[in-house]
Amino acid sequence: MRMRSNLFWALKKLQSISAISRIDHLNHRSSIQSAIATASLSIFRSFSAETQPQLSTDLIKVMEQRLLAIEHRSVCLENIINQPEASPTEYSRANKELRKLRGSMELINELRTKQKEIEGLKSLMAECPEDKDMLDMANDELGQAIDEEKRLQSLLLKSLLPKDDADERGCILEVRAGTGGEEASLFAMDIFKMYERYSQTKGWKFEVVDVTESDLRGYKEASAAISGTDVYGKLKFESGIHRVQRVPVTEKSGRIHTSAVSVAILPQADQVDVQLKNEDLRIDTYRSGGSGGQHANTTNSAVRVTHIPSGMTVSIQDERSQHMNKAKALKVLCAKLYEIERSRIHMSRSKLRSEQIGSGDRSERIRTYNFPQGRVTDHRVGITHHAIDDMMQGENLDIFIDALLLQQEMDAIASFSSTH
Amino acid sequence: MKISVIRTYSCNTFPIFHKPKTQSLSLCTRFRRPICSSSLKPKTPLFLRPPNYSATLSDLKKWHDWAKTFSSSIGSSFVDSDNGPDPSLLCRELNWLIEDSLEDHSLIPQLGIQDYSTNVRLRVDIDELYSLWKQRIEERKPFQYIVGCEHWRDLVLSVEEGVFIPRPETELLIDSVSDVVSNNEELRKGLWVDLGTGSGAIAIGIGRILESRGRVIAIDLNPLAASVASFNVQRYGLQNVIEIRQGSWFEPLKDIEIEEKLSGVISNPPYIPSDDIPGLQAEVRTHEPRLALDGGLDGMDDLLYLCNRTASLLKPGGFFAFETNGKKQCKFLVDCLENDNAGSFCNLKIVSDFAGIPRFVTGFHQ
Ligand SMILES: C[S@@+](CC[C@H](N)C(=O)[O-])C[C@H]1O[C@@H](n2cnc3c(N)ncnc32)[C@H](O)[C@@H]1O
Repeated sequence: MRMRSNLFWALKKLQSISAISRIDHLNHRSSIQSAIATASLSIFRSFSAETQPQLSTDLIKVMEQRLLAIEHRSVCLENIINQPEASPTEYSRANKELRKLRGSMELINELRTKQKEIEGLKSLMAECPEDKDMLDMANDELGQAIDEEKRLQSLLLKSLLPKDDADERGCILEVRAGTGGEEASLFAMDIFKMYERYSQTKGWKFEVVDVTESDLRGYKEASAAISGTDVYGKLKFESGIHRVQRVPVTEKSGRIHTSAVSVAILPQADQVDVQLKNEDLRIDTYRSGGSGGQHANTTNSAVRVTHIPSGMTVSIQDERSQHMNKAKALKVLCAKLYEIERSRIHMSRSKLRSEQIGSGDRSERIRTYNFPQGRVTDHRVGITHHAIDDMMQGENLDIFIDALLLQQEMDAIASFSSTH
Repeated sequence: MKISVIRTYSCNTFPIFHKPKTQSLSLCTRFRRPICSSSLKPKTPLFLRPPNYSATLSDLKKWHDWAKTFSSSIGSSFVDSDNGPDPSLLCRELNWLIEDSLEDHSLIPQLGIQDYSTNVRLRVDIDELYSLWKQRIEERKPFQYIVGCEHWRDLVLSVEEGVFIPRPETELLIDSVSDVVSNNEELRKGLWVDLGTGSGAIAIGIGRILESRGRVIAIDLNPLAASVASFNVQRYGLQNVIEIRQGSWFEPLKDIEIEEKLSGVISNPPYIPSDDIPGLQAEVRTHEPRLALDGGLDGMDDLLYLCNRTASLLKPGGFFAFETNGKKQCKFLVDCLENDNAGSFCNLKIVSDFAGIPRFVTGFHQ
């Protein structure tokens, strides 16, 4: 049960650090067993200064099988390369695969060296049980070597877990007012600004792409391009329905309303990523019916970009030049096409993976902002935060994001163990 | 090839331009006067002025509300009379005017929500804002002259009354140059000419694409345009790439050997038929210089003149692109290039703008 208490410890630690007041339930999706098995890894990742890595023996066994398979494969490939009679295609294919394995192989070799060292130290200690000074010294070294072995194992595990290549990209944020009319639009604006401030604290670049205002100057729809390192990896869990409960400024009787805002986070992509050809695009501008050119003086430089094969369109009007409107429209279009491609690949993967969080299901209600009670609850991790104003200032969003990242890792390890 | 020292283009009095009847050099040289640059110092665009004024946020909001109401009051009258702006467009311009006037942009969203007694720093006196917006609506002064700049491609170009405001359509000329030089290093390294540069838009667009490997000479007959273009070139730090010369079309190039030497000739010359001028949108008709618009009886005077001379100046493989008034002019120009200059050009193309109007004629020297 030591591992189990480790898990609780991890969550408790999270709680004390981030002022989480309530843990509704443990994640029910990943099996308790694997969650237990992996909690300590996550602790290590998040709080490495305070704890030692501890991987469960089961998990190490699973990983060891993988490592052996990789080593075996690597030897086979080396053999092919060293064979004079290997055909050029065989050679280059083997070489390519070998290059891919190189990162893992380096870590594995390091691990093997460490393990030999541990063996050596152990047998040394067994050989001369009388020499106290010697034993002390060897024991010290053994402790260090074991720590190092664990560190390497953690790194290896991390490198073997499936990872999303899009994580390190920037993202397109889309916020849309849902049910709740004007109040929803006002909240959409609040949420949009929350992400803007959060981006500032992270040192990311936040560029407004397009805003459609409501009558009361809320946002019916707003989008932004956020750039920086690992932006998508951090924000992807924000996709979904955000619900708000509060007394709208428009409400005279003081009755609490519930309204909703949907948030979508798409990884940024460029024309190369989505293999977008110029022939596939149609670009239109607003045309007043006149002859244009020198005849007309207009500040309207709205652009609509149509992706002909899919019929998808993106219109941008808020920039002051046609060129910039077009550039923004293309940015959004590429992100959307990329997302479609990703979800196509995603669907064809195992069911297990599509059940994970962060899969971008935008109809899922993920969070509730309750202003009268001053709290924000994330329904996926069951965490409630009690300083709603800070949250809206973009300050403590990391509480949720860190918990969601932790959970993503647990899920990944769960599927890693279960597939072997 | 050596480019000669910059010729001076400044003069004491602002000349009133008439459409030169012929392209004769004698007429055009008339515009070249001795140095005295003071009177043609370009105006600083609003967004570059120091924030020397202040007003309360609520006073600013009061002005904004007044200006919005004023803009809405015109209804569809401008649209109906001459395809002018509608209230929603004017309100968007208002936001941009605030953007350019206000030092701290983060205050903009608060304008709509609450009145504040806090002071904000402005680049223009609040009274002046009232007068500027009156000029926008009552005099139909183009918005770009109100703020003294035009956003064009990824550039912000200074413009002022007396200098043509670059059009969105023209942005595409730069894309065509970009396409051409992207796989032709020889052309990228060469000498390019922008004829009738106005604010310098095309020259600067090309200058940035050449990545300081090639050179651009930008020419305009209008001394104020030449001076504004110089200002813009300096703002983008392209003095070493672009040289502004004042004079008529190819005439300022007399001192350099350019026969069969140019990598590219690009121009958006005046192309509006003279008879169309009285019916133009008020912003254009009453505020933009006629010299920049009037292309003679069928609007083709300058286009034909330029086309016919381009053949002898471009080096083999050299590129040209001209903007035109539309389908009719494009066809006419292509005809003339194919027949009158038979054998000089290849790869002639008519390229449409984003509104679907055939707008440009492009091609290469054989
Ligand atoms: C339609 S404007 C184009 C300005 C600029 N190239 C642009 O696209 O924004 C035409 C320009 O040609 C200039 N121009 C007219 N006649 C000229 C001449 N004979 N020689 C040189 N420039 C001339 C005008 O002063 C004006 O700036």
